[in-house]
This record gives sequence, structure tokens and C-alpha cells, in this order.
Amino acid sequence: MSGVNGSAQVKIQLQTKNPELQLPQEIGPILVRTGLKRLELSRLVNNLLEATQPVPLQFLINGQFLRTTIDDFLTQNGISAETTLTVEYVKALIPPQTIASYEHDDWVSSVDILSSPQQSRILSGSFDGLIRVWGMSSDLLATGTGHSSAVKSAKFISPTQVVSSSGDRTLRLWKYEDTDIGTASLTPTLELYGHNASVDSVAVHAPSSRMLSSSADHTVGIWSTRKSDAPAAQEELIPVSNKRRKITPTAKPTATRGPLSLMSGHASQVAEVCFDETDATIAYSVSWDHTLKTWDLATSKCVDTRTTPQSLWSVCHLPEKSLVAAGTALKHITLIDPRVSAQTVSAMTLRGHTNAIVSIARDPKSSHQILSGSYDGTCRIWDLRSVRNDASEKIGEEVFRIERDAVRQARKLGTRFEGGVKVFGVAWDAEVGIVSGAEDKKVQIDSQA
Amino acid sequence: NIDPESLLPKLPDPAELRPFPDHRSVEYVGHKGRVRTIAIDPTGDYLASGGDDGTVRIWELSTGHLKQKVRLSTTDPVNIVAWRPVISPPILAACCADNVHFIVPTDSTSPTAQAEAHTLLTAGFSAAPTIPTKSATGVDKPSPSSWHTPIPAHASQSISLTLSLRSTPKTLTWHRRGTYFATVCPSSGSPSTAIAIHALPTHTSQHPFKRLKGLPQTALFHPSQPKFFLATRQRVRIYDLQAGKLVRELLPGARWISSLSLHPGGNNLLIGSYDRKLLWHDLELAPTPYKTLRYHTRAIRDVAFHPTLQLFADASDDGSVQIFHGKVVEDGFENATIVPLKVLKGHRVRGELGVLGVVWHPREARCVSAGADGVVRMWA
Ligand SMILES: [Mg+2]
Repeated sequence: MSGVNGSAQVKIQLQTKNPELQLPQEIGPILVRTGLKRLELSRLVNNLLEATQPVPLQFLINGQFLRTTIDDFLTQNGISAETTLTVEYVKALIPPQTIASYEHDDWVSSVDILSSPQQSRILSGSFDGLIRVWGMSSDLLATGTGHSSAVKSAKFISPTQVVSSSGDRTLRLWKYEDTDIGTASLTPTLELYGHNASVDSVAVHAPSSRMLSSSADHTVGIWSTRKSDAPAAQEELIPVSNKRRKITPTAKPTATRGPLSLMSGHASQVAEVCFDETDATIAYSVSWDHTLKTWDLATSKCVDTRTTPQSLWSVCHLPEKSLVAAGTALKHITLIDPRVSAQTVSAMTLRGHTNAIVSIARDPKSSHQILSGSYDGTCRIWDLRSVRNDASEKIGEEVFRIERDAVRQARKLGTRFEGGVKVFGVAWDAEVGIVSGAEDKKVQIDSQA
Repeated sequence: NIDPESLLPKLPDPAELRPFPDHRSVEYVGHKGRVRTIAIDPTGDYLASGGDDGTVRIWELSTGHLKQKVRLSTTDPVNIVAWRPVISPPILAACCADNVHFIVPTDSTSPTAQAEAHTLLTAGFSAAPTIPTKSATGVDKPSPSSWHTPIPAHASQSISLTLSLRSTPKTLTWHRRGTYFATVCPSSGSPSTAIAIHALPTHTSQHPFKRLKGLPQTALFHPSQPKFFLATRQRVRIYDLQAGKLVRELLPGARWISSLSLHPGGNNLLIGSYDRKLLWHDLELAPTPYKTLRYHTRAIRDVAFHPTLQLFADASDDGSVQIFHGKVVEDGFENATIVPLKVLKGHRVRGELGVLGVVWHPREARCVSAGADGVVRMWA
């Protein structure tokens, strides 16, 4: 019962799925004051755990984080204090810390991670037209030269193969090789022609040797990662200079190929495309035309279109939630249930960014969390269990905010960082952590370890 | 007893008129000094800008990354950039001093499209030379223009064609099909030579208005009819280009007109004035304004209807861009609905000058403004 003096009590049953956090002995429901908040509950559970080192804890009731007093939570969610509450406790997340920054010559448009317990690699694409592979101690291992305009997206296909997409209308495949002496090489193997404008994103599904591209020419491309599977490129799209290259007499021109399919349907620039994480014959694309489209890749057909009120600039599939996260050109992320049975377009809205969201990544360790990168110069971590119910929608709020390191350093000195800070690309890996590329010409690595 | 308030039409609540631009988005950083002119290409992918530093810059609209920088002059400002209103091949016209330069964008333009653009711009060199018209005294009239191959310093910056006028153009406005364009040179010696209409395919120019009263300021073509709108300091005259005659004269009541924008439907005209007034003319009503809007404390420099949405914007020397809802009901008895939506602040006033230009994205509720403070900014 909610008491004015906060002395009211409620019965709670504590639970955890984490074996490290099991209570030493089974206890039944316990009575606690409804005025308690997270910190007091955390202290209570740590006492029960008889922990020598207290573990910061978070609490979940009905799949939502407790962010207020228990009393307020019950009121907001219309739960009676007479019932026994099941309260799940989990380790509180550690705020990310910047551990490294890799300097570039121009803005960084995209980042990807090749994860390995021994030696992980970071791939960056830059507006200077180059792709770069880095080691974990900010050592530049290899540079890929060839694009004649900005690189918009770059991804590892495998530990030995890389794909990049560019404002020069092409995608390029590269062979990546580590050497024994601590360097590496990026060798161009294939130039892919088909798009008629900037190729702004590329997605990879290695097991099926398939890649997807999205372009400012309003189409989504399907491509093979294997030269032998790829059809010939349309002759008129290939620049004359590529047909008879004269850099060195011995230099062989890189082979050219075309798409397996170019899918039309969007009415404007297609900002980003991704595979369905559980069914690689399905893809999702988002566009300036305000829509999220679901594509059947086997037939190259659009099978569903969801229209939102604003341009969509980024997309990420969240299979465990049956949701697609779409970043808008305004300030928020819309979570869309793409299943035909879904009644409403937006299942939840994540609010907090102050400018467009151009990149989204999943937490490699938890199905509940996602990472976003925005033109507001921040990356933010969201937990889909951290929500509040507004009059008309479910609103999620950020768990952590990662600023650019230069912004933080300037603030420490009492000044303001004057340069541009737009984040263009993010990636999240269990080994490496959070990697982001931005207008500050840096790849920044943040870790929660 | 009837409450007179109840008879007034109810204006919609701005919150119900979303989306409209209400916050800063991308900035386009690089110009030194005033940015005088901006234009978004018909695909909505690129933004062109020009200013006192004598350069034209082409930016990727969505990222703010500079794609191409063309230096036209080290002494004269770039006064106008205007994309040819045809998606392919892409062509940008830029006015600097007495010249109009035609730039072929290179980034993301296929080699085929670049070749098409160059062919389109230079085809007129092989067109039959025009016979100079003789004046009454039998002396050759000075040609209003000369079309020529760009100087090497320009040709190397992917300029394919240069048109030299006899005075400095302050307006360049394309006809919808991209075949004709008009230039207005307010500082020209006589009003009748201030305005010229040019045919790109044949490289020909003419001064169509012989006896013109008042100093021409700016002009535009009707989107679907052979009509031409010409603003002098205080009047807007509408000419029928086929019949070659004046068909209408508007009396906006402004002391000095700065800018015009025609509603895509063609029946409503916005007029901006240096004397701080924004005037909405319904061309089916009286020659006087349907609405006079006084929201700015300084001169209005530019005005723009959104090409597809029910929005318009103006830019002022007071440093603000103002966004309005403007609903036009075509072939109805209802008059236009105008609702002020948002004052966009952020540009700094430099030497009495504030925001010099505002343009809309072709489809989205986002606009870009150009400031005397050197800032170019997208609002979303
Ligand atoms: Mg992107």
C-alpha cells in the first residue's frame, strides 16, 4: 500500500539468472518498504549475498528496469502492492571508458571489427577514399587504395576478405592478409558496377556468399562475394580509365562484375540495408522516403513496406525481440515490428539524441541492448528494458552516453571543442568493445571491461 | 448575439502541421566570408554554395562532406548558383562578375553522364551563328552576350561553358525543362538590357523587354504556362512570352523587392522585400497582396515555397529564417491558409547582413540557409 510517509511495504520475491549472483540460501518472499530505490535494494541484496566486494546491481520488474521508488513504479504501471512482486536482479552495467583513438586524414564514415581472442582487427572506411585495417594498439596495418570518392561503408566478409562501398558508385572486394612481421596487405580483387549513384551501405552474409548494398540511386543491390558467381558488369558503367589502365605497364586491371539483382521500390535514397539475422533470404532497408521495406532475396521482391513520419537513415535487426531498429533523420530511433501480423508501426521509441541517427549496432552479449551513433556527436547505449510509458507510446531512454574524447578533454580544460563531431559509423564486439568513426577523423574505442 | 471571434476561420495548431524544420542538422563548413547563394540539386543528394571567397562548393547534403570546390575568382564574389532543373545529366550554373559558368559535377557522376553534360553544354558552339540585328542606323547592335569555351583555369575545374554578359547577373532562373534560363543584371545601364533570356542548346541570348519601366530586380518562369514574372523595385509584371505582351501587373506595396517565389501550382506568388515585408499574392484575386506578413525586424533577403509540401520560408538580415505553413486549395473557393510555425535562429548578423538565402529539399521538410556569417546550415 502506498503510504504518504513511505512506510508502506510490499512483498518481493528476489530472483536472478546469473549463477555468480545466486543467494547462499533459498529465501521466500520478503517484505520491503515501497519507498526503496535501486541503490537501497542493491545494498540489501549484497547483504544477503554476503559479498566481500559489493556488486552494483540493477532490478527488473515485469521486464522493465526499476528507475524510481518501488511505489512510483507500481503506480506508473498500475500494479497492486497487495501482490508479491517478482524482482529480478542483474549486474549493473559498467560505464564505457575510452581506451584508444586512431587518427585518420579525413572523416571516418564506417567501422567494422574482425573479432579474435588473439588478435582482433578494426576496419575503417574514410571520406578520403581509403580503407584501413588497424591492430589493437593503434597500429595501421594496411591501407586499401582505389576508390575515387569517399568510402561510405566497409565490412569484413571473412578473416581474409573485405568489401567496401563508395561515393564513386562502386563496391570493391579486397583480399586481406596478415604477415608474420606485423604488417598486412589489402589487395583489390574485384570492382562491382551497377549502381548509378553513391553506394551508402553494404551488408554481408558470408555463409551464403551474399552481400547487399543500398544506394542514393533508390535501389538495393544483391551481389556475390565470389567472382565466379557474379555476372558481368554493364559495359557503359565502367570508366574508360579502368578498361585500359596505364599506371604501370605490368599492373593488371582489377576484374569487374555486376550485381545478381538490383531491387527497385524505394522512392528516394536508400540509406542502409541489413540482412535478417535468422533468415538470410530476408533483408530490411530504410530510405529517405520514410519507409522500412522487407525484401525477399530469393525472388528480389519487396514483400512489406512500413511507412513512418520521417526519413530513416539507419537500420539494425534485433531477432530476439522480433524488431527492427530504424534511426531517423530527426532525433530518435523507432523500433518497428516487421511481422505482417504487427498492428502498429512503432513498437517503441528511443529518445535522447539531438540529431540524426546514422548507425546502429547490437550488443554482442545481450539481446536487450543496442548502440547508436548520431550526428549529435555521441554514441548511446539503450536497454530495451529501460522504458517509460508516455500517453501515446513506449519511450526508451539511454543507459550510457559516449562522447568524443576530444569533447571530453576540452571540457576538462574548461574550453569547448570547436571541430565537427558527427558520428558516422558504430560497431560493437564482445572482445574489442564499442568502436565508432566520426567527423573528428578518429576511430574511437570504448570498453566496459 | 454572435461572437465575432467564432466567425473567424480556425487556424490549425502548429503541432498538427509537423513535419517542419525546427532544429539544426548538418553544417557545411569551409567558406571564407559571406555565403551569398545556395541550391539543392534535383535529386536532393547535393548542395551547391557560393560566396565572397570566389568559390563554388558542392557538398554531399546528408553528410556535409565537401565533394568539389571550384574557384571562379580571387576578387569577385559568387552571386548565384542554380542547378539545371533536370536530374540527368547534372549541370550547375554559377554567376561570378559578368560571367555565367556551367559546371559538371564529378563526384558520383557516371562517366556517361559527365560526357552527356559536356555535349549538352557545348552543342551550341556548332549551332548556326545568329545574324546580328541591325539597328535603325544600320550599325550592328552590341550582342547581349558571348558564349565561349572556358579559360584553361576554369576548364580544368570541370567547367564546360562560359557565358559572358555585359553586366553582373544577380539572378539566374531556369525554365522547368532546362532549355531556357533568364538572367537579371540590376546594375545594367538601361532597364531593357538588364534582363536577358538565353537558350542553352543554341547558345543564343536576347533582351525580350524593350521599354521597361523601373529597375529590374529578379525574375522567374511559370512552371507550366509560357508566363514570365519580372520584379522591378516596386512592381511585379507578368508577361506572356508567346504573345509577347504584358498580361498582369501586381502592386505589392513594397518599397524595394528583393525576392520572388512562385507556388508550384502557379497561382500564388510570394514577394520578399528589403522593407521587411513578406507579401502573399493570390493571382486570382486583386493586384494587391492577399496577405502582408510583417514578422522580421530587418530586410527580407530571400523567400521560398517548398516544391511539394505545404511549407514556405523566408530569410532575413535580422539573422532568422522563418518557417510557415502555407496551404493552397487549387480550383476552390477557399483562400490560402497561412500559419507561422517556427523562427529558426543561429546565424549571426555580420555588418548589417544576416541570412542571405534559403532553399528547400525537393521532397523533405528540411531546408538549408546561407549566412553572411559564413555558415551554411541544414534545418530538420
Ligand atoms: Mg551509413
